[in-house]
Amino acid sequence: MGRYVIRRLIQAIPVLLGATLLIFCIVFALPGDPIAALFGDKRPDPAIAEVLREQYHLNDPLLLQYWYYISGVLFRGDFGVNFADVPVSQIMAGKFQITLNLALTALVMEAVIGVGLGLWAALRRGKATDTAILASTLVLISVPTLVTGFVLQLVLGVKVKQWTGLDIFPVAGTAEGLRAYLLPGFVLAGASIAYLTRLTRTSLAETLRSDYIRTATAKGLSRRRVVGRHGLRNALIPLVTYLGADLGQLMGGAVITETIFNLQGIGNQLFQSVYLREQPVVVGIVTVLVLIYILANLVVDLLYAVLDPRIRYE
Amino acid sequence: MKKTSADVLPAVGGQGNEPLLAVDNLHVEFHTRAGVVRAVNGVSYTVAPGETLAVLGESGSGKSVTAQAIMGILDMPPAVIPKGEIRFKGTDLLKLSEHDRTHVRGQRIAMIFQDALSALNPVFTVGWQISEMFRVHRGMSKSEAMKKAVELMDRVRIPAAKQRVHDYPHQFSGGMRQRIMIAMSIALDPEVLIADEPTTALDVTVQAQIMELLAELQRESQMGLILITHDLGVVADVADKIAVMYAGRIVENAPVYDIYKAPAHPYTKGLLDSIPRVDQKGHELYAIKGLPPNLLDLPTGCAFHPRCPLRQENCVTDAPPLYEISGTRGSACHYWREVLDGERR
Repeated sequence: MGRYVIRRLIQAIPVLLGATLLIFCIVFALPGDPIAALFGDKRPDPAIAEVLREQYHLNDPLLLQYWYYISGVLFRGDFGVNFADVPVSQIMAGKFQITLNLALTALVMEAVIGVGLGLWAALRRGKATDTAILASTLVLISVPTLVTGFVLQLVLGVKVKQWTGLDIFPVAGTAEGLRAYLLPGFVLAGASIAYLTRLTRTSLAETLRSDYIRTATAKGLSRRRVVGRHGLRNALIPLVTYLGADLGQLMGGAVITETIFNLQGIGNQLFQSVYLREQPVVVGIVTVLVLIYILANLVVDLLYAVLDPRIRYE
Repeated sequence: MKKTSADVLPAVGGQGNEPLLAVDNLHVEFHTRAGVVRAVNGVSYTVAPGETLAVLGESGSGKSVTAQAIMGILDMPPAVIPKGEIRFKGTDLLKLSEHDRTHVRGQRIAMIFQDALSALNPVFTVGWQISEMFRVHRGMSKSEAMKKAVELMDRVRIPAAKQRVHDYPHQFSGGMRQRIMIAMSIALDPEVLIADEPTTALDVTVQAQIMELLAELQRESQMGLILITHDLGVVADVADKIAVMYAGRIVENAPVYDIYKAPAHPYTKGLLDSIPRVDQKGHELYAIKGLPPNLLDLPTGCAFHPRCPLRQENCVTDAPPLYEISGTRGSACHYWREVLDGERR
C-alpha cells in the first residue's frame, strides 16, 4: 500500500509539469498585451512598458519563461508575483480557503441529500416517491446554475427575509461565516446532487438484485439489516468514486456560483487573472487545482481498497 | 422480551403425524408485463426428518421457485402465491406474518445456493458472515460468535479454519466457498436444509466431496434435506426419494430405487435415457425432442404432450392427475402402465 502511494505521487510529477506547461502556453497564446492591459485605457509610455517587459521576462522565448517560472516553484516554492508585485501564493491563500469551504459544503450536501434521496427512491422503486424524486432530479440537471443561483438567491435570500424578517440565508458575501456558504453550496452542488441521487438509486437497486442479498434474506435477517449492512456496503463503492472526482470539479467549476454570490474565491480570481493575462497567477491556481484533483483521485483509489477487499494494490 | 423461533413454532414433533415439511398443492405465478408466468402449478411433496428428497427437473421446471417459496425469499410482487400451503410441523408458513417468518428462515429452514461466489457477500470476511447468524439470532458477542464460526468451518472441513476465518470469499476455491455456504446454513441446526443445485458450479471430484459432506451432516443432525438438481448422477447416491418436475408440476414421484429401475413417466424415462453410458459408447446420445414449455402459454392437457413419444389424443385435451401407482409412488401420465411395462419388456 505504501509503495503504491509513493508510486502514484511520483506519477503525479509529470502530470503536474505537463499541466503547467500547457496552461503556460495557452496563456502565452492569448491575444493582447498584458502590459498594455495594465495601463487600462491609457497608452503606456514605450520606455516604461519595455522596462516592465524586461522585468517580467516577457521578451524571452516561451520555454525560457516557463523555466524561470517552474524553477521558482520547484526550488524556492515561489509561485512568482503578479504585475502588481503581489506574491501569487498570497493571492491564492485566502481565496482557496473560500473556494474550499464552498466546495466542501457542496460535497457534504451532495453526499447527504444525493445519497439520501437515492436510497429513498431505490427502496420505493416504481412507487410515487420514486417517480417524484426522479422527476425532480431531472429538473435539477436540466436547469443551469445561472438560473438556480439567481432564483434561489432572490427567493431564499431576499424574499424570505422580506416576508418573515428572518435572515437565514445571506444574499451574498462571506461576512456571516459558514452560514453564508449554505445557499451557494447548494447551487453549486445542484446538478451533482441530481446525478448522485440517480447513481445511488441505480447502484442500490442493482445491489439488491444480487445473489448475496438473497442469501442474506435467507439467513433470516431483517429487511433493515439486509439493506443497511449487506446492500449499502456494496452500493457505496461506485458513489465514493463519483464524490471524489467531483471535489475537483466543484473547486474548479465554481466561477458562476462565486460570481452570483460575490464570493471572492479561486474561480473569480482565475477569471480575472485570465482577463489580465496574469500568467503566474493563472498557472499557480491551475497547478494547485491539478494537485487537488490528483490527491482526491488517490484518496478515492485508496478508499476503494478499503471498501472492496477484492481490490489490492501492488 | 425478544421473540425466539421456539415461540413462533412448536418444538420438534409437535403435531401428531404431520411430516416435518409438507408442500401442499402450491401454486406460484409471476405477474409480468408479458403476462402471467405460471411457474409452479400444484406441487405437493413432503420431507421427513433425516430424509433426502431430490427434486429433479430442467431449468424452468419450477423446482427452484418452489424452494424459494418455502424459504419465503420470492420477490412478491412480481411473484404471487394464489393457492397452496407450506406446512412446517403443521404450521402453514404462508399464513405467518413477515416478522414471524424471519424466525423460521435461516434458523429452522436454511438454504444453500448454487454459485457460492455470488451468494456470499464479497465485502465481508467469511467469518463475519457465518458468525452473523449467531450475533443476530442468538445475541452472541462478536468474539463468541467468531469462535463458533471457526468451529463450524472445522466441521465442514475447511483446513486451517482458525486462520482462514478472516479471509474474504474471493480468496477461497469453489469447493471451499460452498463449504462456507454450508457452514453458514447449518449454523443454527436447521431442521430442513434446502440445497439448490449445490454442486452445479463445481468440478466433479469436488462435487462428490460436497455431497458426501451434506450426507454426513444430515446423518449427524437428522435434518430433512431437499436436494434440487438436474444431475441424475448426484441423485442416485444420496436421495431417498425423487420428485420429477416438469412445467411447474410433479410428473413423477417415487423412491429412488424404483425410479431408476423403471420410470413411470415418459419424461423421467427420457431423462434417464439421456445419461451417457459407457456401454453405449459410439452411439448417438439420446435427447428429449423439442423445447421446454413456455410458461406464459402452457400446452393444453398434459404439458409434456408436444414432446412425448407416447402421445395419444386425450393427452392434448385432458391434464393427467398424479395417478397413485403405489403408496409411495405416483405418475402424472395417463399411460403410466404402458411406460412401466415398456421398461420391463
